[in-house]
Amino acid sequence: MPTQGKDRLHGTLDALVLKTLAAGPRHGYAISRWLRERSGEAIVVEEGSLYPALYRLARAGWIEPEWGTSDEGRKARFYRLTPAGRRQLQVEVEGFRAFVTAVSPILFST
Amino acid sequence: MAGKRIHEQLKGLIFRAPVAEEVDAELKFHLEMVTKELVEGGMSPEAARAEALRRFGDVGAVRKECGQLGRAEQRERQRAQWLSELVQDVGYALRQLRRVPGFTLTAVLTLALGIGATTAIFSAVRSVVLRPFAWAHPERVMLVQESYRGQPASMSVGNYVDLKAGSHSFQAFAAEEFTGASLQEGENPERLSAGRVTHDFFSVFGVRPQLGRTFLPEEDAPGASPVVVLSHGLWTRRFGADPSLVGKSVRIDGQSHTVVGVMPRGFDPTASGEHVWLPAAFTPARRAEHDEHLLLVVGLLQPGVSGQRAQGELQSLQEEISRRFPQGNAERGSAVQPLSEAIVGDWSQQLLVTLGAVALVLLIACANVANLLLARGASRARELAVRAALGAGRGRIVRQLLTESLVLALLGATVGLALAWVGIHVLLASAPEGIPRLDETRIDGSVLLFALGAALLSSLACGLAPAVRAARSDLESVLRQGARGLSHGRDALRAWLIAGEVALAFTLLVGAGLLVRTALHLSQVDTGFKPEGLVIAQVSLPKASYETPEQITRALERILEQLQGAPGVTSAALSSSVPLGPGGGSNGMLPEGRPETQDQLINGRRRVVSAGFFETLGIPLKEGRRFTAADVGGAPQVIILSEALARQAWPGQRALGKHIGCCEMEPALRNKEVVGIAGDVRSQGPMSDPAPEFYLPLRQAPGKSWDWIDRTVTLVVRRSGSTADAITAMRAAVREVDSTLPLAGITTLEEALRASTATARFRTLLLAVLGIVGLLLAAVGIYGVVAYFVGLRTREIGVRMALGAKPADVLRMLAWQGMRPVLAGLGVGGLAAVWATRLLQASLRGVSPADPVALAAAMALLALVALLATLAPARRALQVDPSRVLGEG
Repeated sequence: MPTQGKDRLHGTLDALVLKTLAAGPRHGYAISRWLRERSGEAIVVEEGSLYPALYRLARAGWIEPEWGTSDEGRKARFYRLTPAGRRQLQVEVEGFRAFVTAVSPILFST
Repeated sequence: MAGKRIHEQLKGLIFRAPVAEEVDAELKFHLEMVTKELVEGGMSPEAARAEALRRFGDVGAVRKECGQLGRAEQRERQRAQWLSELVQDVGYALRQLRRVPGFTLTAVLTLALGIGATTAIFSAVRSVVLRPFAWAHPERVMLVQESYRGQPASMSVGNYVDLKAGSHSFQAFAAEEFTGASLQEGENPERLSAGRVTHDFFSVFGVRPQLGRTFLPEEDAPGASPVVVLSHGLWTRRFGADPSLVGKSVRIDGQSHTVVGVMPRGFDPTASGEHVWLPAAFTPARRAEHDEHLLLVVGLLQPGVSGQRAQGELQSLQEEISRRFPQGNAERGSAVQPLSEAIVGDWSQQLLVTLGAVALVLLIACANVANLLLARGASRARELAVRAALGAGRGRIVRQLLTESLVLALLGATVGLALAWVGIHVLLASAPEGIPRLDETRIDGSVLLFALGAALLSSLACGLAPAVRAARSDLESVLRQGARGLSHGRDALRAWLIAGEVALAFTLLVGAGLLVRTALHLSQVDTGFKPEGLVIAQVSLPKASYETPEQITRALERILEQLQGAPGVTSAALSSSVPLGPGGGSNGMLPEGRPETQDQLINGRRRVVSAGFFETLGIPLKEGRRFTAADVGGAPQVIILSEALARQAWPGQRALGKHIGCCEMEPALRNKEVVGIAGDVRSQGPMSDPAPEFYLPLRQAPGKSWDWIDRTVTLVVRRSGSTADAITAMRAAVREVDSTLPLAGITTLEEALRASTATARFRTLLLAVLGIVGLLLAAVGIYGVVAYFVGLRTREIGVRMALGAKPADVLRMLAWQGMRPVLAGLGVGGLAAVWATRLLQASLRGVSPADPVALAAAMALLALVALLATLAPARRALQVDPSRVLGEG
């Protein structure tokens, strides 16, 4: 398991980002805020990991960057979920659900 | 718009800045937003900025990682886009080409012709010249020769032994003496070509036998029990590839030889077609002999030793030998060259010239297709303009058009490969014998690669100019005016292509013309003898049963007696060698009146002949007498010289009656009286010059000379009946004397004469075919261009004729316009031809490279064909009905 730790971390972050974008295009700052607010400040995605994740997802063809204008009227790089990304999000969600289903009886048993 | 996109892509590809800039801008935005949030939460701007940076972590590392990921993503996207565009382009090109089947078929066939011919010749060049020899270290295998007066020469056994002992440059150093061997197995005794080799001969090449082994050192010694190594060819042909043959014995030259090994298929290291190898087994006497130069010597260089260093070493050893053994070693040096070069040498030049000629044909083909594409470009101007208006950039259009010519070229290469396959078979069937390794020519990976390369290059050669021009034309005006927007003033490019085609075809035709002139010249050359009706065959007397000169001459004279009375035979003779036949040998000679020093020796080809030799061969006697039955051993020694030798021996003097020495250990004994002067003979065929020759009577042949010629003589019969009758008579005569003697190399001298010019005729044929193909392609090109011009000007012609122009005037105008580039091409081609045909110099006889007749003939032929190609479409223009054309306007 330990060697898979980083992969799982990546995988989880990827899934969260994809989920965040499922509602519509957002720039990096908005993604990090949304994650923080949605998790009730429980998950603070380290900003240093978020941007490499965005570039990685873009390279995989799951999200697509595009320059646009932010709410404050500034130029910002927005990310949009691609059809492939939407499919990937489903895969990630299913995988996570299966993982939780498998792990829960063990961790939560008394 | 699209142009700008391509520009940005290029920028992203070449300068990496944009990705980094994007990352920087993105991170900066993020940090500013966090700072702003913190300030709104009540922090001072400075503290907020510091906090934002702290929260973010290592900005530098993130920047770097994002930059790398971003660039990789960009590259992948561009590649995918490029590929999908290529697929689109190919699909589009195929659809476009299918819409114009006539154009496509013409272009594909034209390119197929060019690519096919180039590929076929390339495959031959590859097989003969480029393919490494199947030896362990081909680059280290050297042919080691003596040089005599600067010319490479064979080596004497003594010199070989001394050089081998003294040299340190070679890992193996071996000798071969070419000879014949009579295989006496089964009903028909057979004469084989054989190599007597030292035991280490095979290790020079590092080739292992297919069966058994090669010779052991103890087998390569006088008196050892006889062994033999067979070639793969003989083993399969005569022994049915019997794997149990090794260890058995076969009868060769009257002696039982144990077969110790069989070499693998294709092992013919000196390209001399030996059937068997026997141990050289030099006797002590021969090992001390420095005067008979008969050996072929090969050596495997030590690793890291250059051929030049070996040559230097051998040269100084040879000088030492020359001091110790001045007899036969004066003016001798050393010549070392890679054996592969020596084998392929002559042919590489000829094949490369042919490949050059074929490449000219390919260029003409490309020029033709370029012309077709230009014509098509003009008629497609509208379609391209529409595409441009829809957003295709110029680069994209050029690419699309290049893809189209690439598709054409690849189709052409596919058909061309089929043509090449046929061509190779025709080539192999019609090529003269003796081109080393030509029979191994086939289409393999590298030939396929060559065809692909030829296709790529031709697609550029024929497609680039039309594509660039189509993309450069003023698209807007095309859209407004239609195809007529392209004025004919722009068609200078097409005229240039025609001029180039004509120049190339002219060069080819002049080359072909020169070779044809050479062939005509050769057919009229007097060879100095009368080959018609002469039948020859070799007979070899085994040393075991014919030891002494008396035994040999008695047997030979009995054979002659049998022949002279035979039916179907007018006259018969024998000789150690005959013109156009095998065998040879030459000797230094010392003429009367010259100082007795080595450097005063002259050299002549030696022939030991029977009395009837000159009458039988039809060699005229210019002065003196022929040999008679009285010229026997005890009688005064006599000799007959060829005119060339007599001139060389006593320039400006009468040779008859003078004395000359030769052929014995001491030529200083000038004891042979010149009793006759014979006419010069071109012994190697009409391509050769007459060489100095001399003749000795059979009974006065030096005893040793029978060993020099391996007791092999050539019988010559002038037939009165059929060739078959003559051969039957020869067989019967030999059988009568000794039924174990095989006859070898039975042929007619007419056949031998044809064979001696086979190579020249083959090359003439090849170049003539190429010249005609070039001519036809050029004619098609001219026709196409003129037809196109006429098509464009139909309206103008109609107007002219309506205004009263005579048909002849119009015809003259069109002909002049069509012929102008042709004349320019002839001018340029004349210069190119004079330069290029110098490459043929070595193949020419009786005609100079800048031969005015060949130049004029080629020029006239091309001009005539060009005029016909011009007039045909021009005449059609005259049939236009002026009123109809005007009505259309």
